Amino acid sequence: MNRNLARGLALTAIALLFGLGALRYPIGELERAGPGLFPLVVSSLLFLLGLTTLIRSFLTERVRLEFRVKNIVIILASLSGFALLSEYVNMIVGITFLVFCAMLADPPYSVKRNAAITAVLLAIAFAFHSLLGLQLPLY
Amino acid sequence: MDILQNLMFGFEHALTLQNLLFCAIGCVVGTLVGLLPGLGPLATISLLLPLTYSIPVQGALIMLAGIYYGAQYGDSVSAITMKIPHASSIVACIDGYQLTLKGKTGLALFTAGVSSFIGGTVAIVVLAALAPALGEVALMFGPTDYTSLMLFGFVCVSFVTTGSLLNGLSMCFIGVLLGQIGTDVNSGTLRYTLGFPFLADGIGVVSIALGCFGIAEITKNLDSKEDRSPFRGKIHLIPTWREFKRIIPSALRGSAVGSFLGILPGGGPVIAQFAAYALDKKVSKYKHEVGKGSIEGVAGQAAADEAAARTSFIPLMSIGIPENAVMALMMAAFIIKGIQPGPNMISGHPELFWGLVASMWIGNCFLLALNVPLVRYWLSVFKIPYKVLFPAILFFCCIGTYSVNNSLEDVFVTAGFGLIGYLFLRLELDPAPLMLGFILGPMLEENFRRSLLLSRGSFTTFFTHPISATLLSIIGLFVAWQIVTFFWRSTRRASEIPVPAAVEE
Repeated sequence: MNRNLARGLALTAIALLFGLGALRYPIGELERAGPGLFPLVVSSLLFLLGLTTLIRSFLTERVRLEFRVKNIVIILASLSGFALLSEYVNMIVGITFLVFCAMLADPPYSVKRNAAITAVLLAIAFAFHSLLGLQLPLY
Repeated sequence: MDILQNLMFGFEHALTLQNLLFCAIGCVVGTLVGLLPGLGPLATISLLLPLTYSIPVQGALIMLAGIYYGAQYGDSVSAITMKIPHASSIVACIDGYQLTLKGKTGLALFTAGVSSFIGGTVAIVVLAALAPALGEVALMFGPTDYTSLMLFGFVCVSFVTTGSLLNGLSMCFIGVLLGQIGTDVNSGTLRYTLGFPFLADGIGVVSIALGCFGIAEITKNLDSKEDRSPFRGKIHLIPTWREFKRIIPSALRGSAVGSFLGILPGGGPVIAQFAAYALDKKVSKYKHEVGKGSIEGVAGQAAADEAAARTSFIPLMSIGIPENAVMALMMAAFIIKGIQPGPNMISGHPELFWGLVASMWIGNCFLLALNVPLVRYWLSVFKIPYKVLFPAILFFCCIGTYSVNNSLEDVFVTAGFGLIGYLFLRLELDPAPLMLGFILGPMLEENFRRSLLLSRGSFTTFFTHPISATLLSIIGLFVAWQIVTFFWRSTRRASEIPVPAAVEE
């Protein structure tokens, strides 16, 4: 896919998302602006910029859009897993999961090294907890 | 004499044992994190922001400033020794890395350290002299002028940091729109919260910064998977007298350029480095060597870098408008600590302002003492492989986000912005202007609505106030120039290729 075209599409989509959303709030008058007026003005400007980007993408050379799904999915999964496990179990499990899951993104995989990293990070977390007074739900 | 008196007053506040300690911690931690690959000043500051929550206001500001210029300095060290450019130290890669290839790493690091010190010192004098004066100018600004000034800042930042007005400005507006999420302060309406109660206070600035600059960067680095060989060369620090003499003029030139460019909207360290480097290439006595590993190529840009890093505080503290993304983040940090930067800060909290200025010079000394003799120990940071580093950075991102509100929901928001930031990176959209737009968004809305209220709903108010009219006409001219050059270029290209690509508008 052409990166310039994709950029134009993304920008117009974001503008429409916020612009149509703004219509749900009272616009008010110019003199007494309602909560919807300002987002409407800004998203209209963004829409114009998006359209310009779209038009421009047909006038300039095509650039291939490079995109890899694997790593970003692994990173997001490890973050979400960390948050969920810390919420429902405790943060020790969360941190362990974070390290072991994130390491999938950078093979070769080594359980021993992951365990060592986890141990160091846990030690840092405990230090933050007791020395700096951060309220971490560690256990 | 006033300046001297004020500075003495500042030193009284900065030289307490506690504040000295915060300054030292800020410099050390900032340099350390700044050295790590993939973390520039923006990510460093947002990562360490939660550390300052439990610290008294003055200490927190001093520490944050220390983190900022420490990170800026750490960046240049990694650029010189390993050619790892962060966005903020591209120029240091050119001559600095050339010197490393010649086996003169020590000389390059020494030059960078001393020049940074000179640049920082000059900038602090400029800061102390100019900020109060500009603060008085800022009192003439009405809401229309503020609105236009912010738009002007958007245009400048977009063009300078991304090189493309279209992309940068789009990102600014997306930032402004993201800033709309949460409760509208005038009417109490919940906007764009999608029914999530934790969004009623808006999105946290730390979540956006860590998502877009931390997590997105990590993923990008994992995608590219470069093997970086750590620096193993010898370092011989002390230069000969002849070499030392070459540092001074170039560093002074760099300081002047940096101090000046640091003040302008959209300015800051990056553009100052380029300008100082270009100047050295033109006027230096050794200009034929610049680009091939010369002392001047390192000294000028390093001085400009540190000078601009400090003078870019001037618009923030005197007018209350940050001029680039890093300063916007600083402003957010100030506000979290309950200080509204702006014309009233200098008169209302003189001890904070002058203490901060004085602490910058103390920080300068710390950086010089820490980095020049001890640089070889810093370099051992690079021996940690990325494999070990990135889970640790992820961990700090999680802890950093969590401890803002002690809320795990924020971690999901950060993860979400990691995805968005990654998509933006892939679409060649720079997230730095987004940051600026996000932080200035609420202020822009407030001033926009106030202007319309004062003018009874007439848009002409933006063109009848002289300051606002001037700024808007500069923006208009600039946009027109951009459009004309684009079409001029594309028609020229179209005439070279026989296929007609003429599209009106």
